[in-house]
Amino acid sequence: MTTATVSPLTYAERIERLRATKLRLTQEKVRELGASDMDDLPIRLPPAAARKMVRGVNASGVMAFDALFKDFVVKSDHPSGGIFGARACGENFRALLDLHPACVDAASSLAGGYMSHFTAYRQPAWRPEFDYSHLHALQQKYKLHHGVGAIQHFCQDQTIGLRQGWGGILARIRHYRTVNRDDEAQSLYDGLEHFVLATQAWIGRHATAAREMAAREPDPELRQNLEEIAAISDRLVAAPPQTFREACQWTLYYQLAGKVYNMAGALGRIDQFLYPFFERDRANGTLSGEEAIFHLACYFLRDTSYTQIGGPDADGHDLTNALSHLVLEAAHRIRIPVNVGVSVGRNTDPQLLRRGVEILFTDRTGTPKFLGVDNTSAGFARNGYPIELGRLRAYSGCHWCALPGREYTVNDCVKVNLAAVFEVAFKDLMSDPAATPSVDELWRRYEQHLRCSVETVGRSLDFHLDHMYEVFPELHLDLLCHGPIERGRDASHGGVEFYNLCVDAAGLATVADSFAAVEQRVEREGQLTWAELNHWLETSWAGLEGEQARLLMKGVPRFGSGGSRADHFGVKVARSFTAIVKEKPTPHGYNLIPGIFSWAATITMGKDVGATPNGRHARGSISHGPNPDPGFRRDAAPTALALAVAAVQPGYGNTAPMQIELDPGLSRSGEGIEQVVALVRGHFALGGTQINMNILDKKMLLEAHRDPSAHPDLVVRVTGFSAYFASLSPEMRQAIVDRVVAQE
Amino acid sequence: MRPARQPTPKTTPSGVVFNVQRFSLHDGPGIRTTVFLKGCTLRCFWCHNPEGQHATPEVRYYPDRCIACGQCVAACPQHAHALVDGVHTFDRARCDFAAACVTVCNARALETEGRRMSVAEVMAEILPDRPFYELSGGGVTLSGGEPALNHGFAREVLRACQAQGLHTAVETCGAVSWTALRALVPHTDQFMMDLKVIDSAKHRAATRQTNERILANARRLAATHVPLVFRTPVVPTVNDTPADIGAIAAFVRQLRDQRQARTAADAAITYEIMPFHRLAAGKYASLGQAYPAAAIEPPSPATMAALAEVARQQGIATVNRGDGRQP
Repeated sequence: MTTATVSPLTYAERIERLRATKLRLTQEKVRELGASDMDDLPIRLPPAAARKMVRGVNASGVMAFDALFKDFVVKSDHPSGGIFGARACGENFRALLDLHPACVDAASSLAGGYMSHFTAYRQPAWRPEFDYSHLHALQQKYKLHHGVGAIQHFCQDQTIGLRQGWGGILARIRHYRTVNRDDEAQSLYDGLEHFVLATQAWIGRHATAAREMAAREPDPELRQNLEEIAAISDRLVAAPPQTFREACQWTLYYQLAGKVYNMAGALGRIDQFLYPFFERDRANGTLSGEEAIFHLACYFLRDTSYTQIGGPDADGHDLTNALSHLVLEAAHRIRIPVNVGVSVGRNTDPQLLRRGVEILFTDRTGTPKFLGVDNTSAGFARNGYPIELGRLRAYSGCHWCALPGREYTVNDCVKVNLAAVFEVAFKDLMSDPAATPSVDELWRRYEQHLRCSVETVGRSLDFHLDHMYEVFPELHLDLLCHGPIERGRDASHGGVEFYNLCVDAAGLATVADSFAAVEQRVEREGQLTWAELNHWLETSWAGLEGEQARLLMKGVPRFGSGGSRADHFGVKVARSFTAIVKEKPTPHGYNLIPGIFSWAATITMGKDVGATPNGRHARGSISHGPNPDPGFRRDAAPTALALAVAAVQPGYGNTAPMQIELDPGLSRSGEGIEQVVALVRGHFALGGTQINMNILDKKMLLEAHRDPSAHPDLVVRVTGFSAYFASLSPEMRQAIVDRVVAQE
Repeated sequence: MRPARQPTPKTTPSGVVFNVQRFSLHDGPGIRTTVFLKGCTLRCFWCHNPEGQHATPEVRYYPDRCIACGQCVAACPQHAHALVDGVHTFDRARCDFAAACVTVCNARALETEGRRMSVAEVMAEILPDRPFYELSGGGVTLSGGEPALNHGFAREVLRACQAQGLHTAVETCGAVSWTALRALVPHTDQFMMDLKVIDSAKHRAATRQTNERILANARRLAATHVPLVFRTPVVPTVNDTPADIGAIAAFVRQLRDQRQARTAADAAITYEIMPFHRLAAGKYASLGQAYPAAAIEPPSPATMAALAEVARQQGIATVNRGDGRQP
């Protein structure tokens, strides 16, 4: 009897298989749940027999389904039926995670997957007795994303977990439980313990499942892989990881548990916290570069959290290492939406940037993005911190960085819609019979309302920080932060060292172009009176005459065109916002850091605002982050864009990212790569903080917009995050098409 | 009737510019700003910048932007515009290019092509991108049209760029007086010159001009020390045969050899071929002109590769800009 020799699957073949699985799962999600304008979360649907579909408006403002475990029963001790406080959150989270079956794929070297968001069961989300109705009027007036109830959006220190393992963390909780005996601490420890025990049990189930699969697996190589997963998972229930693969697996389990708990998505500096394991395995001769790439690829296929590669240590020396390059290669091999940020700085390894640009052009998946680490470090120092601290802030979210394990930030959760503030100011001016309308007077009132909106944000954030620990504490991130366990305090309530709260502006170009249009057409040329303009805004430019008026206002040189009045107003709007945010801390003394970023909320924020003098219709999208609106110049010159965005940076360490779409033809003959490298360096040399770049083939994009199924694997960087184009809402797809088509 | 070309004022030179293209990557090394000057002596039937042919401003019309508001009808003293059954018509024969219609067209369905600019105005567009020129080894390119036609203005722009330490390049069709071209030489760091066809009669059929002056200017430019790139737009029916390209490449190699014999240093004469493309069709439509090259198919990547090989066999370094993608 002869044994057939089966050549083992290559890593490339296994990646291809995993990639196909991911694509299939994504398509299934879009089919079952509908479109979603957010991160490509690695959630899977619960098994058909275990799920129930509920209908509601999703985070993108689109009517969609959500898949819940039908057997999950909320255990609430609150009359509202809500789940509040550390103890209850921990206990209920544990019950939910207990329903999660193991997710093991024989082709992947790493196990783990998640199927449900705990937040979907936490209804109501806010504890009713913490009444902030005294803030509602102003929050509503300015359409603020005010931050009350904001979750996660800061960064843990992964080295804590990698050092201590779940057993070590549990021991630490149990130790400090005996030290801090107050009720707040005891509730937190109860919650944390539930979290850890749930996660340990869930990891243990993966070991069991992998072992069962191994017994049935005919392919010897995959069988061995499954046996290894079982052994690793068994160990990781309590022990800290020892090898690179174990460290990847530990991180993945931790991150996925966080996804279930509150969708936490910060990874931090993966090329640093995994490096000791990588280096040790390499030195032992037990890990090849190809194998390391494979583990990283398996990681990203299950978790697309935000990560930085390269960048400075506290003293400014570059920390780029061999692993940084392998992370980039892993992202390249899988060609899915991942969120890898390449550091670009004076001292950073230039090869990292060059290879990053090459991969952008080759893969056309919007990966990687680029981080202006010198400017964000120096900017953070302007808050009164040493620059050494600024350098340690890690890129770990859509547009943001945070000090791993030491800083609470609510990054990306607070937005001041400048277009809404402008609208309030304009109406205020036009309805004041004592006022003589002028651009100066409009500006004065705009600033007055902007100040009021920022003050409202400050009061809201104080309220949030007073109560969040009793609503929905950060059990997941608390575990890997310096302080919460030791002090018995949630990160949102004094658990960590630094509190630097994000306040982002959105709609900069909408407002800058509006001021410029009013100044030119109404005040200087007299082509419209203030009353006429007001009429057209109220009617959203109705009728042929309205359309003429709209086009008249829209025809004024725009922010980004270079040297225009709108460029002047763009800078003025950014400086005024920055100055107002930095005028004072919140009433309770928390530091605020200004940024300019709209996330993917340009559409939903636009729906809150009537017509604006830049020729925008009522309810139309507001402008994207600090970017000019599409069509800002006939040549759509990337250098003009780079100058405009660099000129409006707030400069306190939080970013105002440039979103840029480039044509794939630029890379012809290789020179294009060098020129895009120069473009990136130039933007950062001028003060830029972050670049999100897409290489988009217009023809393919238009085809995919007409029929999303034509290009199911087309990936675009929507904003700070990237996603499958086919999974986005029709409105968001249109917005991306507009960005590209305007470059004619 | 088009008005005669206006004389360039002697004291403060100005030029009619139809585009200032920033982040221009195919008009010389690095990231560049390309300034396109209106006016050309050739009338290549495939021209991809038809708005660059006439030296004076023109009116473009984009019917798809028109909202039929009728403002242009009222504004035009020549009655070139009319609304017929709610549809806008534009009779270009009546147009005197006063552009009163453009001023009132909020929809930008009517636009002026070409704007008279001073050197200072052009420099204000060029200078903001300095960091990008410096990081990429780029600079400024004058193109057109034929930039040497208004050499007084072109020279001053180039001079101003060099005074700012910026690398300068000129794209020329060569069909101008040597006096005009020579005026630019001291202020130009690189010339890019088109060579379309070696056979003069064939050249005339394709461009309405014979090529003796072009070839003579090519020899004169080759006799300077300025780096020189000769370029051929490969246009089927005009010059897409191995014989056509071989003849041009042989001519270029000869100039390269002569320069090499004169200077010990790198001769810095190279050759590029670029595929004809049809992206200009919309421009012809908006200018109210027929597109004479509508029936021409772009050369295939295989043809381009084969022609590049033909040129290389003539012994001249050749870059093929047609790798299958649209430029």
